[in-house]
Amino acid sequence: MGLMLKYVIAGLARYWLIHMDYWQIIANRVEIATPLNSWKRLIEGVYLYDNNINPYEGDSFHESPLMLIFFHFFMKKFPYILPLLFTIFDLITAHLLYKTSKSFATLFKNAQDKMKDEVNEDSKTMLLSNSRLDEAPDYVLSVYLFNPYSVLNCAGMTTTVIQNLLVAASLWSATSGHRILACAFIALATHQALYPVLLIVPIAILLADINKGCNKCSYIRTLLVFVLCWGFLIFISAFIMDGSYKYVYNTYGFILSVPDLKPNIGLFWYFFTEMFEHFRLLFVCAFQINALALYIVPLTLRFKREPVLLATVLIALSAIFRSYPCVGDVGFYLALLPMWKHLFTFMQQKFIVACAFIITSALGPTVWHLWIYSGSANANFFFGVTLSFATAQIFLITDLLFAYIKREFTLKNGTSRQIDGKPAKLVLR
Amino acid sequence: MWIRFRKILLLVSITLVYVVADDFKEEIFIKPLPPTNLYVYFQFITQNEETSFEHSHLAPRSLGEIMSRYQVDELHLTLTEGQWRHNKWGYPILDASSGAELYAWFSPSVTDVDTHWRKLSATLSGLFCASLNFIDNFNTVTPQMAMWPMGAIKVNKNVTSQLRYATLPREIVCTENLTPWKKLLPCESSHGFAALLNSRMIHNTNYHSIGVHVRKICKVEDCSEINLEIKQTVALVYDLKIINSLDWSFRKLFGQGLPGPCPLSSSSKIYVDVSSNDTFPFKLNPLPDSVVLSQRGGSDTTLAIYNIIPTNHMINIGAEYGTKDKVLVTIPPPLTFNRYVLGYGKEFGGIVTEIKNNYWAPIDIVLLENAPWWLPIQLSSLRINGEAQSKLVKSLYYSPGRSRQKPYHLELLMRLPSKSTTTITIDFEFVFLKWQEYPPDANHGFYIGSALISANLPTARNYTSLPVTGSTMDSIINASKPWYPAIFRTNGAMVSLPTPDFSMPYNVICLACTVVALAFGPLHNICTKELVLKAVGSPISLRQKIMNLFKKKQD
Repeated sequence: MGLMLKYVIAGLARYWLIHMDYWQIIANRVEIATPLNSWKRLIEGVYLYDNNINPYEGDSFHESPLMLIFFHFFMKKFPYILPLLFTIFDLITAHLLYKTSKSFATLFKNAQDKMKDEVNEDSKTMLLSNSRLDEAPDYVLSVYLFNPYSVLNCAGMTTTVIQNLLVAASLWSATSGHRILACAFIALATHQALYPVLLIVPIAILLADINKGCNKCSYIRTLLVFVLCWGFLIFISAFIMDGSYKYVYNTYGFILSVPDLKPNIGLFWYFFTEMFEHFRLLFVCAFQINALALYIVPLTLRFKREPVLLATVLIALSAIFRSYPCVGDVGFYLALLPMWKHLFTFMQQKFIVACAFIITSALGPTVWHLWIYSGSANANFFFGVTLSFATAQIFLITDLLFAYIKREFTLKNGTSRQIDGKPAKLVLR
Repeated sequence: MWIRFRKILLLVSITLVYVVADDFKEEIFIKPLPPTNLYVYFQFITQNEETSFEHSHLAPRSLGEIMSRYQVDELHLTLTEGQWRHNKWGYPILDASSGAELYAWFSPSVTDVDTHWRKLSATLSGLFCASLNFIDNFNTVTPQMAMWPMGAIKVNKNVTSQLRYATLPREIVCTENLTPWKKLLPCESSHGFAALLNSRMIHNTNYHSIGVHVRKICKVEDCSEINLEIKQTVALVYDLKIINSLDWSFRKLFGQGLPGPCPLSSSSKIYVDVSSNDTFPFKLNPLPDSVVLSQRGGSDTTLAIYNIIPTNHMINIGAEYGTKDKVLVTIPPPLTFNRYVLGYGKEFGGIVTEIKNNYWAPIDIVLLENAPWWLPIQLSSLRINGEAQSKLVKSLYYSPGRSRQKPYHLELLMRLPSKSTTTITIDFEFVFLKWQEYPPDANHGFYIGSALISANLPTARNYTSLPVTGSTMDSIINASKPWYPAIFRTNGAMVSLPTPDFSMPYNVICLACTVVALAFGPLHNICTKELVLKAVGSPISLRQKIMNLFKKKQD
């Protein structure tokens, strides 16, 4: 009953925000809408497509052709249903995350039972009871439903709503062991925004863990299904655009080469505004490798026993370092964090991070207004805010990982922080 | 003996061909404009047999070589400073957008038009000392409906694909453009009407525009032979209000009298529009050689004509007004327009083009909106009189732009209802450029070029352009036609793009990289190191800490 009430309230809030007079302002905010996901660009693309002009000929549309025909259909046939559609999509995302964390709780329980013997005697109390584990899904749901970032993202009707839905669906299918579904959803998300391609690694590990048997075969099978799905989507998209692969330049090309320098909450825009032309390519490559390839191998090796944590961290890192991030991405990974509620006690920078989130969220729109509308500030102000927002998120993620390894250490070696009765402290070596 | 005779014969025959082929005419057209302005229009027409361009003795060889080298069929270049006020002054003989404007049709045999176009603009840039070399694909459009060639073209040929059009609204026009322009004339600036073009005087005018127009014209009736016509024009608008007297004379306008015609010209004529003499009388001095009444498309024009013949004194034509307390009344032209930018802040805006049809019948127009790539317009936001789907639009062409590569290009064929104002609004989003893409003085603003409006006017009211078949001013006399084609340029506009801080590229690079490193460092540690317990020394008391602090200071 309480669950239902949450859905209804969150749904009504989103629906009301979309129908508010200030909706246009929400939909146009730089923090919410980027060139990649904004509703305005979607409309423009659909309009051009409807008028028999190839939307990929120009620079105004960066969604995949699948999204183009999907929204073309809805805008032509049932334009009035779209606000409802976005609300429902977001609620489904929330529900899928709820389901995911439920299955995760089961997975966690099983893993905990298995390693009970390795746990140090005086750390036994730290093992999670069933009731504590069952709390987490409720928190996940509440955070996704009532986090202002995700609410505003849905109210702005950005296509990140769809991306979140696809990623949530793939996580849910992976935790419940549906290989083909998981791969299909992750391929869809990758086709839309490229960065979710990272998630294939944790999903492959998850599927191998759940569907017991030959691990390597499972990895290969997952990868194969994903590549097939992705290839099929690329082909189908070209088929929609009359066999032309020119859309790739406007979707993946746009994400990778960062030609539009409109400010957003990420690190790319001002960096590449101020970049020396000579070094542009070098730094574009460096930043994209940082977002796409750099952390995947070391994190996988380190956290291969915790694929869900790996997935959370990869989603978060790609949300921080992607070329066109928006608050919708941030809201999504924040909703995953309550699954790691038991790590919060080991985190040291909770207060700093919380303050930074609140302050930057308030300061960002303020300095944006000062710069763009009143002309009394300049770009550096907004850059400073985005920089500290990114720093806060990085602190959050690294703190979470530190908390995890600290808990791992404590479970193994006990809660005592003493060597031979002398005080000692935990350090990395 | 025979050889010498043959040489003479050859010489005579060549000279005969030349006499037929080359022809140079110079003309001035003067018209008082309401309220207190004066329009002075010079045109210098050189006609040349196209096949023998290399042997011409009147047509400028430098221009001829460009035309033949890049296979240009028709070329129009204008360099303009100031804004023509259509609603006050009526229509000019040749309209031009402010700054530099260049358009050309290439020969149908040219396949790689874009390369030829870039080479053409670069060469012309050298010839006229203008920044035409900045013309590239990112500011060039191919108008689909708005422009048609003025010269003779073969029928049933698709000429649109051979057309390229570009403007540089920021171009500043000055003496350095006028001097090479004058050098193209047969008499340069030493004799003839060009002697009046004293840059000290003409760059002080409210509006000045110099132009070169090259086209093909039919030599004979059936167009089996074609001549090349090179027309060089200067349009000046003086504001007589600032000298507090409507009286004008060549001495006042140009600082000197006219020394006489160019000896190479076959005709040197000055036309003064004296139609306003009935309502606001003035006296021409000296008296004109003849006065002609021209009835064209429902409007009467009286032209006083001077035929300039060589004299040994300076000719100083002028007008003296009897009463000083009158002003000329504006007769509104059939079509007036206005363009402005909407919105506040530097995030979203809109461009509005208002077109007013003052005529009692509907007028068909083509509107060409040409937005640079840094001003991305959204076709879905196009509103005509506030409506998304307007019945006024008969046809629409849109080519979306791409950043740093292609401008946004919108063309609308519209039927404007009689006595109506049509407002065309389109939204745009401000673009954030890279710091090196901003021009010097980035906060000065960015110029948006004019929109083109091409119309077939049903009336010749306020219309002074020559008919397509004519090249000299006398062709406008009694030249009634069913409609009068014209291409107008609206006023330009300016937007102020948001700017980054130009002084801190190093700081930004360092700070952003630091944040990346903030993630890299801990993640590297987490992945490569393990947690261990390490003994620490006994805790230091607060007093000890403070003591340590002082110790450091003493060192």
